[in-house]
Amino acid sequence: MQSLMTQKNKDLLLRIGKQWAVIFFVAELIFFGLTAKGFFTVNTFQIVLFFGTAIMLMAVGELFVIITGGIDLSVGYVMGLSSIVSTKLIVAFAGSGLPELGAILLGILITLVLGLIPGMINGLLISRLNVPPFIATFSMLGISHGVSELLITEGAAKNLPHMANVIGNGHFLYFAQESGFSFFVRPEVARGVKVFELLPNVVVMTFILVAIFAFVLKRTVFGVHTYAIGGNEDSAVRSGINVKNHIMKIYMLSSFLAASAGVIYMLKYVTGKADAGASLLLDSIAAVVIGGASLSGGSGTVWKAILGAVIIAVLETGLRILGIPTFDKYIMVGVILIFAVLIDQVFPETTYKDKE
Amino acid sequence: MKGNLNLIIEESRTLKAIARNWAFCFLIFFIVIFSFTGKGFLSIVNFQNIIHLSVIAIFMAAAETFVIITGGIDLSVGFVMGLSSVTAGKIIQILFAAGNLSVGAILLTGSVIALVVSLIPGLISGIMIARFKVPPFIATLGMWGITNGIALKICKGFPVASLPDELTKIGNGYTIYYKEGSGISWFSLPAGIANDQIREYLRLIPISFILLFIVIFILRHILNNTTFGQHTYAIGGNEDAAIRSGINVQKHLIKIYMLSSFIAGMAGVFNVFQTGIGNFTTFGAMYELFAVAAVVIGGASLLGGKGRLLASVVGVLLIAVLENGLLISGVEPFYRYIAVGLLLILAIVIDQLFPDLF
Repeated sequence: MQSLMTQKNKDLLLRIGKQWAVIFFVAELIFFGLTAKGFFTVNTFQIVLFFGTAIMLMAVGELFVIITGGIDLSVGYVMGLSSIVSTKLIVAFAGSGLPELGAILLGILITLVLGLIPGMINGLLISRLNVPPFIATFSMLGISHGVSELLITEGAAKNLPHMANVIGNGHFLYFAQESGFSFFVRPEVARGVKVFELLPNVVVMTFILVAIFAFVLKRTVFGVHTYAIGGNEDSAVRSGINVKNHIMKIYMLSSFLAASAGVIYMLKYVTGKADAGASLLLDSIAAVVIGGASLSGGSGTVWKAILGAVIIAVLETGLRILGIPTFDKYIMVGVILIFAVLIDQVFPETTYKDKE
Repeated sequence: MKGNLNLIIEESRTLKAIARNWAFCFLIFFIVIFSFTGKGFLSIVNFQNIIHLSVIAIFMAAAETFVIITGGIDLSVGFVMGLSSVTAGKIIQILFAAGNLSVGAILLTGSVIALVVSLIPGLISGIMIARFKVPPFIATLGMWGITNGIALKICKGFPVASLPDELTKIGNGYTIYYKEGSGISWFSLPAGIANDQIREYLRLIPISFILLFIVIFILRHILNNTTFGQHTYAIGGNEDAAIRSGINVQKHLIKIYMLSSFIAGMAGVFNVFQTGIGNFTTFGAMYELFAVAAVVIGGASLLGGKGRLLASVVGVLLIAVLENGLLISGVEPFYRYIAVGLLLILAIVIDQLFPDLF
């Protein structure tokens, strides 16, 4: 009887250990709900998601890389590079007489395609030349930083058409008392009538991308192979997976997501900046690790990485509402990151089970 | 082809030495190239400047060398440096404003406290890595965030200013001032010299060189000639074997991370002396990544067990000369990022081609 009890306790403890990120998230919400005024409003949550878009996208990219046992340090500066490239392209297209929307869409499309290149070079170096991921992606960090600075020597990346601002800071759904629901376009109302703004466009875009990649990881052969390579690269090679090609695709995917984060940055802030994502390296890796992925590869899920990203985003917004300087955010993210790994050490089985 | 090349190199001692020290050969090569392309590159003053401005990077690379030899990595060095710089700056600022102590005592107190403080991040990451088996990448990345946050908190997001002038006089001073006719004067300009006359003097051997040589000499001695150094290589080569041969690996790793953090702290204190203010580290600086780059260019392997202190110093100087030379030759400075990236890839490819050399 006694032993059964302890077994039961142990199981319970294990289950809690496995879900500690969820518990932490709830505790975080309760804490800010009690201390920060006006925290529990739709608006605050939209702001959390609005500012969290870049972390979420880069965390998903980093997750794929970390599952294969690698690391991608270049995401932050690839994001900055793509914010500059997209701005420059759109300004050029708009200047050449294309309609605003056409220029924006074409610019974004070309940027996303170009965004594959850093990842392709990373992947080539890592899979063909056996360069350690840390070194290859660090070189790419330097190179994309250099190219960014090169692009803005002749002038800062700005003067985007007005439409970019409308898309980036607009909402998917508007609701006003008299005119009812309207999509994308803010209804014209008399002064003083409140218009409810729901679902920022950039958040919708981010969620679509995240959903696609969650599907890819969970339900496709590509995803299965990704886990297989991270679990045991040798056996993956022996079971006929083209590991070299797969690794290349993984780094291209990560760099694609970083480029989309850059495009979204461009839409949000209507400008391009070389160091747009410089501070996001810690955040994106922390999000993945808080989500229970192991740096030695083979484990991790998209929704948990997103949970990790949201935990960081809530922390940031909550602290801002409390009026605490953002410096404390870095300390807390660091502490949570270390805490996450320590928990991982105490409950070693938990991350392993997460694979299923 | 690769086999042949290996064989040829195996046979020739000179070629082997060249391949092993390719970074040094590149350094010489770049110095020769830039001497032709850049006006004023080949001068004692310029070389003194290059080294004087790379002292911090050399400290960082030295710190990283110890950690990388054990097979770890320390991402926190850049922000530990910022923390130490801000701490020293703040303490000096407070004591200076109080005005009770002599300037010498103030500077000494500030520096010593900052150095002691800088041991703490290393102690914490060391304990996490050695006792709790947290991967070095994560433990030091966590410390990256924590030290950055604390440094920013101490200085409230602004550099710590209004410190005594003596700081920069020491940090940017020279050992020898020489002018034809008036002879040599040691450590300071002869009294009664106007500011615009300083340029007439030939200034030799910055005081920072003395610090640099002492620190590098001691660290090299520790790494090459002591049991501590031998154990460091042993742990990096094969941790299991090191445990079995009776090395207290956990304790050793904690010491390694404390040493790395301490050296970063020294860089921070030196930074206060060099700039005259307490600087926090910005995200764009990426000291830790450039330090890792320099160490890898110097021939160390991220898997551990390999690495030489002087080679890491050469790695730093190679990056610094490249930067300075490009600037003097009129190439835009941001090419340095691209150049460092390419150098790194080259380093790894050379390492892959000749795995037995180092």
